[in-house]
Amino acid sequence: MNGTVKAPGSMGRERRQAYMLVAPAVLVLVGVAVYPILAAIWLSLHRLILVFGERRWVGLENYGFMLGDARFWNALGNTGYFTLVAVTVELLLALPLALLLNTAFPGRGILRASVLVPWAIPTVVSAKLWAWLFNPDYGLINRLLPGPDINWLGVPGYALHAAILVDVWKTTPFMALLLLAGLQGISEDIYKAARVDGASRWRSFVSMTLPLLKPAILLALLFRTLDAFRVFDAIFVLTEGGPANTTETLSIYAYKTLMRAGNFGYGSTLSVMTFLCVVGLSLVYIRLLGKEGR
Amino acid sequence: MRRPLISVLVLGLVLWTLPGCRRKKEEASVAGGKTPLVFKYQPLGDPVAFRELLADFERKNPDVVLSTEALPNSSDVAHQFFLTSLEGGADDFDVLVVDVVWVPEFAKAGWIADISKAFPPEVLRRDFLSGPVEAVVVDGKTYAVPWYVDVGVLFYRKDLVPRAPRTYAELEQFAREAKAKDPRLQGYVWQGRQYEGLNCNVFEAIWGHGGRVLDEKGRLELDTEQARAGLDYLRGLIASGVSPPGVTSAAEEEARRVFQSGQAVFMRNWPYAWEEAQKPDSPIRGKVGITPLPTVSGEPGWGTLGGWQLAVNAHVSPKRKDAAERLIAHLTSPEANVRMALSYGRNPPRPSVYKDPRLVERVPFIASLLGMVENARPRPVTPYYNLLSDVLQSEFSAAIAGIRPPETALKQAQRQVDHLTGQFE
Repeated sequence: MNGTVKAPGSMGRERRQAYMLVAPAVLVLVGVAVYPILAAIWLSLHRLILVFGERRWVGLENYGFMLGDARFWNALGNTGYFTLVAVTVELLLALPLALLLNTAFPGRGILRASVLVPWAIPTVVSAKLWAWLFNPDYGLINRLLPGPDINWLGVPGYALHAAILVDVWKTTPFMALLLLAGLQGISEDIYKAARVDGASRWRSFVSMTLPLLKPAILLALLFRTLDAFRVFDAIFVLTEGGPANTTETLSIYAYKTLMRAGNFGYGSTLSVMTFLCVVGLSLVYIRLLGKEGR
Repeated sequence: MRRPLISVLVLGLVLWTLPGCRRKKEEASVAGGKTPLVFKYQPLGDPVAFRELLADFERKNPDVVLSTEALPNSSDVAHQFFLTSLEGGADDFDVLVVDVVWVPEFAKAGWIADISKAFPPEVLRRDFLSGPVEAVVVDGKTYAVPWYVDVGVLFYRKDLVPRAPRTYAELEQFAREAKAKDPRLQGYVWQGRQYEGLNCNVFEAIWGHGGRVLDEKGRLELDTEQARAGLDYLRGLIASGVSPPGVTSAAEEEARRVFQSGQAVFMRNWPYAWEEAQKPDSPIRGKVGITPLPTVSGEPGWGTLGGWQLAVNAHVSPKRKDAAERLIAHLTSPEANVRMALSYGRNPPRPSVYKDPRLVERVPFIASLLGMVENARPRPVTPYYNLLSDVLQSEFSAAIAGIRPPETALKQAQRQVDHLTGQFE
């Protein structure tokens, strides 16, 4: 943009034309993204319970109730724990996997495609499949593990970790693929140079691969964190938030409040809160990415 | 300059011609003197017999053009559909199926029409089972007509226990004796996962201990001695090993599979499990008995009432409401009850139908359920059931899983319920 200088008249016309060109995209974005968010915020400021036929402005009352709502804090804690553990484990597993897939060996293409299978299966289907694997009486997992049978989805503590396992199984390949793309952007020449200089493989991994891969890692973390924070389908199929809400995430709480109870006001408050958390997380990542850019 | 304007116009045109926007016009063209009628229901299995039932209606009512639209089978998703469409004032369907716990909610919200004129409450009370009538008559007005019913029952293994248990103590004793002979056996399986089925199991235990969940004024009453005894009993089943720990994550199918494979002595479930148990390759074929749930006192227990009702969309015109009422009368007639039982194994809501010779001869199992469906009790009949159910599920689950003692869980549930209902009244 800041290259050649144009005559002022043509500049203005060009700018107008640019606005016109982006206008359809902006319109669509406003229609499908901005409007629903504003509508949810608007709803969250009302008491709106359908069975009541009641719709009344209450200002920030719903938010005040939320701060004292133990179930909300429980759901927030579950969501945070789920996101932190799942994404960390996924990164730790995906990095070696990506390095492996990046090396040349026969059948690499087939392997690259086949690691994506868990990712390609619809979440509800794979969650249902895992629910049977976890079944305490005839599930495969208890058969394979020694020791007494564990009631994976029925005991607090186990259930959330079982859900994390399912998420890790499903999305590690996706993360690995994102990292693989980053790895392929690193020139082979610098490794050659490092070898000439006598650097060990570990040394070149720590001093070259990791720093050069950092933008890709951050991007992969951004995608996965936002996704994990909104987790709904896998956990809903596995436990519906049970036992005793120990696996209830913010999305599940919001869904139950909105769609089962018909409490649209408070349900919207919970949705807006989830949205704000996600915005906060992405701002942190974008700032980190921005630093990388510079 | 003009291009974007044109594309916006084109986009608008495309949206306009999408099926959703055009619906009203199509309807008007069908109408031409005849009344269009749309029936929204969950498919029942092989459609042939049901098509015949609907064709009968069309023959008798040539002024009506009937079409059917399928709903998702999951009760939750169907509820969500009605919540969004009826709140939005949708009038593109006339007759709808409603779960037994939705009737007061939909009635209060003004989504389903008062049909007392066509189906007076006293007529329903005379002809139908008392449980379903209690659920469809709200404040003395009829809002839906029972279509078919379901009830929680006890399955037991005739080859493993001397007879059907009548009390909780007998059930535990029989389970222990059977387990002593074969340690691989599990005692009693039921539904303890955090979901609506858990509420059904807990209500049954509370009723079996002589409790009621609603007091006379229609207020939910949980912090009672009987409720504590009921929840203590369920938790005790797991703690003492009569029930396997896995029940805390079991819904209907998980429990049925354990029972079906011959690994359990007793199972609480809905009657659908019978047909599977009697299949030719079933390991428990011919060894299964069905009986009312046990109680403390030994009188036949009260199973939770399930099942579906037919209601009329409150947003439709009087002419269509009239046609809708005729369809409901047709589908809930004694003849339709018999055919639904014969073709789809759905339990009739009219007690008289259980004595129909065709039923007794061809589906004797359904005929044998009469005593149990007569004793079926609805879950608390309140417009706020769906709001409260969620609170109950999590507190009951906490008690069953041993996270909180039943007493604390009930106190917390009562507090939250009071908070929610206090907000309403």
